[in-house]
Amino acid sequence: MSLLDFARGPGLHWAFIIFVFGICWRFVGTLLIARRIKLSTPRRTDNWLMGLKAIETRSWPVEEFHRVIRFQHYSGYIWHISFFIVLFFFQPHILFFKSILGISWPGLPNDVILVVGAIAVATLVALLGRRLSHPVLRKISNVDDYISWLVTTLPLITGFMAFAHVGGRYETLLALHILSVELLMVWFPFGKLIHAVLVVPSRFQIGASFGRRGVRA
Amino acid sequence: MSKLDGIKVRVEDPTTPHWVTENTRPLLHEIHHALQRLLEAGEVKTIDLASLPMGPADEARLLEILGVGEVEACIDAMGKSVIRETRFPGVWFIEHFNTDDQPMGRLIDITFIPTLLLSQTEDMRQGLAQLSLYLQTDDAA
Amino acid sequence: MPSKTLGESLFERGVSRRGFLKYCTALASIMALPPTAASAIAAALEKAKKPSVIWLEFQACTGCTESLTRSHAPTLEDLIFDSISLDSHDTLQAAAGHGAEQAREQAMKDNWGNYLLLVDGSVPLGNPGFSTIGGVSNLEMLQETAKGAAAVIAIGTCAAYGGLPKASPNPTGAVAVSDVIKDKPVINIPGCPPVPVVITGVLAHYLTFGTIPELDLHGRPLAFYGQSIHDRCYRRPFYEKGRFAESFDDEGAKEGWCLYKLGCKGPITYNACATVKWNDGVSFPIESGHPCLGCSEPDFWDKGSFYQALAQGQWGSAAGLGTAAAVGIAAGAGAALLARRKQHQAREEQP
Repeated sequence: MSLLDFARGPGLHWAFIIFVFGICWRFVGTLLIARRIKLSTPRRTDNWLMGLKAIETRSWPVEEFHRVIRFQHYSGYIWHISFFIVLFFFQPHILFFKSILGISWPGLPNDVILVVGAIAVATLVALLGRRLSHPVLRKISNVDDYISWLVTTLPLITGFMAFAHVGGRYETLLALHILSVELLMVWFPFGKLIHAVLVVPSRFQIGASFGRRGVRA
Repeated sequence: MSKLDGIKVRVEDPTTPHWVTENTRPLLHEIHHALQRLLEAGEVKTIDLASLPMGPADEARLLEILGVGEVEACIDAMGKSVIRETRFPGVWFIEHFNTDDQPMGRLIDITFIPTLLLSQTEDMRQGLAQLSLYLQTDDAA
Repeated sequence: MPSKTLGESLFERGVSRRGFLKYCTALASIMALPPTAASAIAAALEKAKKPSVIWLEFQACTGCTESLTRSHAPTLEDLIFDSISLDSHDTLQAAAGHGAEQAREQAMKDNWGNYLLLVDGSVPLGNPGFSTIGGVSNLEMLQETAKGAAAVIAIGTCAAYGGLPKASPNPTGAVAVSDVIKDKPVINIPGCPPVPVVITGVLAHYLTFGTIPELDLHGRPLAFYGQSIHDRCYRRPFYEKGRFAESFDDEGAKEGWCLYKLGCKGPITYNACATVKWNDGVSFPIESGHPCLGCSEPDFWDKGSFYQALAQGQWGSAAGLGTAAAVGIAAGAGAALLARRKQHQAREEQP
C-alpha cells in the first residue's frame, strides 16, 4: 500500500472516526457538565436573551479595547474567512465533500483560491509572530496553541505544494496534504480547535451567566 | 450514414477542434530564442515535437503560425521525409514517414541546412565505388 | 548470424545512411533523448551485435505482445526486432510443445549469461499447477531461465507488479517478476498494455548502450516513466485554471477541459502516453476524452473506481461514523454524569 493509498483509505477512515467521536464526546460532555450551584437571586430573568446577545456582541471588538485588540480581532476574521473560502470553494475540495455529503456547489477559479490561500498563510504567520513577540500573549500560550497553529498551517502549506507540484512527486505531496488534514481532524476535538464547535454555546453561556448577575457581557 | 441516422449520433467535424490551449506559445518562444542563438553563435537546435505536450489543435496552430517558406525537399530513404523551410528562414519543419507512409517523427530544426539533406560520406564512398566500377566495366567494354 | 553487426545487416539490405540516420532520429525520440543524440545512437547501433532474446509468457492476456505486434509494418518496432534475435516466444513462434521448449533451452545454452529475458504475465505462487508451460510451473521456468540472463525485462503491469491476476482477492497468489528474481537487474515496463515504442525504446537502449537504463523507485526506466501523464498533458493549462469537465458530455468535455473530476489518474501516473501517444502517434486516452486509468502504477485495479476523482477519499461508511458518534455521545454523557454525581456527593458530604 502506497502512502497515498493509506492517506485516502484507512488514514482518512480512522481520522473521520476519531473526529466524529471526539466532537460528540466534547460537545455532549460540555453540555451536560455539572452546573455551578446558584445560591444568589438572579438580577434579571431574561438570561437566554442576554446569552443570544453575547453571541453577537462578542463578535466585535469591545469599544474600550478596540485600539489594543483590533489587529488580533480583524486578522482573526481574515484568517477564518480565507480559510473557509479555500476549504469550501477549491474545486478538488468540493469533489471531496461531494463524495461524503453527496452534494456539490460551484467553486471559485484557481487564481482566486491561490491568492486567498496566500492571505490565509500570511495571516497565520503574522498571528504566530504576534503570539511569540507579545509578552503577555506568550505567557498565556501553551503547547496546545502551538500545536493547533501547526496542524492548521500544515494543510495549507502541503496544499500549495501539491497544487504547484513543488517539493516532490504529486502522489507524495497529495498524500502529505491528505495526511496533514487527517492530523488536523484527529487533533481538532482534543485541543483548542474545538472552539469551532463550542464558540457559540460558550458565548451563550457566558452571556446568560453574566446576565443573571446583571453584568454586561 | 443511413444506419447512423437511425441512432442518435451527432457527428462533429474532427478536423477543426475549436478549443485552444496555450501550449504553442512557449514553443514559439523557444524557437525564437534558438534562432537568435543560431545567428549570434551559429548554434543549431532540434526540437522533437513528440516530446512536447500537444493537443490536436496545438500542432495545427503551430504549423499555421510557422507557415511555408521557400524550400521544400523530399527524401526517399526507408520511407519519405519532407523537409520544409518555414516562413521564418532558418526554421525548418521536418516530417519523417515510414515505408507505409505513417508518421514516424516531427521535428523542428533551427539550422542553416538540415544535416539529413547533406550527402552522407559513407553513402558518397559507396557511390564513388559504384561509379568507379561502372567506368572500369565501361572502359573494358 | 549473431556475428554480424546491426549496421552490416542493415546496409546489406540496402538501407542508406540517410535512412539509418532518420531511424536513429526517431529512435532518439522514443528513447526520450534529445534529437542531437541521433548520430551517437547511429554510431553505437552500427557496431551493436544482435542480442538473443527469450520471451516468456505467464499469467497474461497476451495484450502486451499484441500491443507490440499490432503496429503496422514496417516500423521502428520492426527495425528493433530485426536487430534482436528473438529466439523463443511462446505466442509468436511456429514451434509448439517440446519443440518450443527445445528452442528456449538451445537459446539459453548458446547465449548463457548474455541473453535478455523478457517476461509478460505474473507468476502464481499459490499452486504451481495454476499456470504451466510443458508441465513446468511458471515459477520454476522463470527461475531457471533467469539464471543465465544478462537482465530481465518485465513487460506489462502483470509482470511488473502482479497486475490483474494479483488484484484482490488474488486467487492464484500472483506476484511480480521482481518478487521472484532478486539477483538480476529487473527492468519494469508497466502498462496495460505498455506503449509499444516504450518496449522497443528500452530494447533500443540496451542495444545501443549495452547498459540498463536509469530506473525509478518502481524499477521503471526514467526516460519513459520520469514524468507523470499530468506533467505532459496538453490539457494541463485547463487544470491550472480550474476548468474541468463535469461529465462526459457536458460543455467542458466538448471544450477539451481537464478530466480531473471524472477520475483522471494522470497526476499520479508515470508513463509516456501523453507525448509518445498510441496507435502510431494518433492520440492517447485523455486526447480521446477519457480519463487516465493509471495502468502503469502498482495495484491500479484495486484503487477504487476508475471514475472516482483523486481528491475523493475512502472516508468509510455512514454506519462507521454513526457508531463513532454514538460512542462519543455516550462517553461525553457518561463523563458529565460522573462529574455531576461527584458534585452531588461532595454537596451531601458537606455539613
